[in-house]
Amino acid sequence: MKLKSSLPAALKYQAVVTESAAREAGLDSFEVVFELLDAADVNGIAAYGGFPVRYPSWRFGMDYERLEKGRTWGLSKIYELVINNDPTYAYLVKSNSLLEQKLVMAHVYGHADFFKHNIWFAPTDRHMIDTISDHASRIRSIIDVVGQDRVESFMDHALSLETMIDPYLPLRKLRQERETIPDGNSLSERSRAALELLSGSPAGQHAGEEPTEPRLVGSLPTYDILGFLGDNAPLEAWEQSILHIIRREAYYFSPQRMTKIMNEGWASFWHSRLLTGGLLDPSEILDFADAHSGATSSQPGTLNPYKLGIELFRFAEERGEDIFQLRRIHNDVSMIDKLADEEFTERFLRPKTSRGVGAPGEGESEVPGWREVKAGLLHSLSWGGLPQIELTGIGPEGELELVHHHDGRDLQLGATGESLKYMAAIWKAPVRLLTLEEGEGRRLVAREDEITIEEAEEAEASCSEESAA
Amino acid sequence: MFRIEADRARFREIVRGKIRADIRKFLSTGELIGRCGDQAVSIPVPQIQLPQIRFGPNDNGDGEGGEGESGDPQSADGGEGQASAGAGEQEGNHILEVEVDLQDLAEMLGQELELPDIQPRGVNHLAAEGGRYNGMQNSGPDSLRHFRRTYKNALKRSIAAGTWDPNRPRVVPIREDFKFRARNVCEKPDSSAVVFHMMDVSGSMGREQKEIVRIKAFWIDTWLRSQYRNIEVVYIVHDAVAKIVDQHTFFHLRESGGTKISSAYELCLKQIQERYRPEDWNIYPFHYSDGDNWSARDTEYCVTMLRDELLPRVNQFCYGQVKSAHGSGQFKKDLDAALGEEERLVTSGITGRSDLAASIKSFLGKGR
Repeated sequence: MKLKSSLPAALKYQAVVTESAAREAGLDSFEVVFELLDAADVNGIAAYGGFPVRYPSWRFGMDYERLEKGRTWGLSKIYELVINNDPTYAYLVKSNSLLEQKLVMAHVYGHADFFKHNIWFAPTDRHMIDTISDHASRIRSIIDVVGQDRVESFMDHALSLETMIDPYLPLRKLRQERETIPDGNSLSERSRAALELLSGSPAGQHAGEEPTEPRLVGSLPTYDILGFLGDNAPLEAWEQSILHIIRREAYYFSPQRMTKIMNEGWASFWHSRLLTGGLLDPSEILDFADAHSGATSSQPGTLNPYKLGIELFRFAEERGEDIFQLRRIHNDVSMIDKLADEEFTERFLRPKTSRGVGAPGEGESEVPGWREVKAGLLHSLSWGGLPQIELTGIGPEGELELVHHHDGRDLQLGATGESLKYMAAIWKAPVRLLTLEEGEGRRLVAREDEITIEEAEEAEASCSEESAA
Repeated sequence: MFRIEADRARFREIVRGKIRADIRKFLSTGELIGRCGDQAVSIPVPQIQLPQIRFGPNDNGDGEGGEGESGDPQSADGGEGQASAGAGEQEGNHILEVEVDLQDLAEMLGQELELPDIQPRGVNHLAAEGGRYNGMQNSGPDSLRHFRRTYKNALKRSIAAGTWDPNRPRVVPIREDFKFRARNVCEKPDSSAVVFHMMDVSGSMGREQKEIVRIKAFWIDTWLRSQYRNIEVVYIVHDAVAKIVDQHTFFHLRESGGTKISSAYELCLKQIQERYRPEDWNIYPFHYSDGDNWSARDTEYCVTMLRDELLPRVNQFCYGQVKSAHGSGQFKKDLDAALGEEERLVTSGITGRSDLAASIKSFLGKGR
């Protein structure tokens, strides 16, 4: 669906002013296109992950229902949405006040700059708005042929595995490509990739994969389980292309998970700097302070990425670091690891209540030292905050062998087992996962319709290896 | 505008399917009472989640936790029994309230318990006088004058008389031209019902017994509402004396004292005679008690009153006996012995919540 852009004059003017202020400050982004929508439509887009069109799924409907309930009852409100795309689309909510729009616009330029320059976003598809609507129409045409029920059921299976990707893979590949092909991102390269995509060749063969090594069962171990399944599982063509689509979208969204704190911090840092640096009318200062402190306040025991992020950048600036460099090369984990010293950790990372976000393994009466607090937070953020599951090999009867690299936090075995059953259904052979539960080895063996959990001593060795993060 | 509405509709469909699948669970809990508005009931459903490999506590040992306490929040496509309680807890703060139309809820109940639609009573009772102004007559008040017909008559008359001039098309109606709308009597199916819920609130009825009655009354109301357009509910509580109370009191009252069942029946009969004539109303009295009556003589009086006064006037009289720790359960035996032949009397014993579904079915399963 085509969006109609019709900003009122006052907002258009504001957009121009904000953009030039952002540019003067050193921010650089793709062209930013603002769209003004009413709150319900913004919720619709938010439910679709920021896009106006997605493939049909009840999951989006559920998110929409929740967002709409939140809005109707005044519990939650979305101020803005920005999509990592060239041009960068940003949605403004009609019901916002002019001050809120000013704040949001400045915030958006922060995000837009971050999307363009942060290295983790470099491998992402900058034409995702087209790609994702292409995905939607492909899935719709699959539904037309195969029928909604079968597609929905397979999608539920595949979506249950959508976190089974290697968040470091795209960047690694990009580096390899840059070394081998000097101009890897040229137009011809892109169009070739697009062509292959359209012709529906499996994931392994097109430019998105390691081109040097054709994907075989032998390319193990891997964290890119979704990719492995897409290439090797005995699937029908339509199933394969759904798996491929879901994987591709998962990789697109993955950097946002890894840089949530930095991204929000950077945007908040700049909306604050730009607005108080001259964009505000003096009469608006109080309202601004109110809105800003609302966005950056944190409840005890929770981590507000806006707050932590803005403090990181302010702290770095005080210490004379090049904040532009920081926003380019880091993700949340490496940034906090680099910057947080004792003072910073005590002020911003230590949980304010006994049950905190920073120390997952706590509960002991003695207060953990700042290094433990920091390490705990880093652990919880590593691997995009998800369990690190590696596909290590294939057993004698074709079963998938998975290992969970345990970082101190146990898996929720019920949900994990259900998910593994889905994986077994796709793989059409059993799936085995080694993990730890309260320090004791466990092996989960999943078939399509059953799951068994047994003790496994060997897990204690393989799961507690140092994680790759 | 956006396609999200289609996704939302699909989500709601899935949720309705889950509620349908879980309706027996709701049948035995009071969860839905108090969430009920005029048209819809809002039902809490745990956010349906796709299972994903994620962190979380494992309180109940391994993952075979059987039924999760808040239903089955995990598998979207209805995989039963495998939900773990852990997930239920984790997602506790994501509970969604889904509005379900009372009509839909009744339909689900009907399907689950295979309830027949209520058959109309005899023809005499079916016809209710209704009127529509769709007839025509030659006299009447100006407010009912049918302008178009009147004009047509006048036009026809003037053309026939040859007084009509196309160049000066003026038509003046005279008295014979006037037509007026008339009221036609038509038969309307009867659609009013009154439900009497009579509850024994004497000391021997414990909290659990009252709760069971409340749940049952809720479902009966829901079903009957779906069958009649216009329904009134009268709540009567009794110990040694009976009184009419409002809904809230009925559902929350705690009383104690002796039991004289006839007091409730008398009050019910009085209401029927004074306000709900059987010619105009479908009448459904429900009486719930633990079966202990004051005296055998009072029970005799109740039987007489039922046979001679109440049963001839009502569609169906239902007596539900809830088993309590102290109750003898004698009243049901007495009723069955004296009035077992009467097809308008349904008695049912309830020992616990698990019997609720069967008991509801025995009350509503006759389609009366």
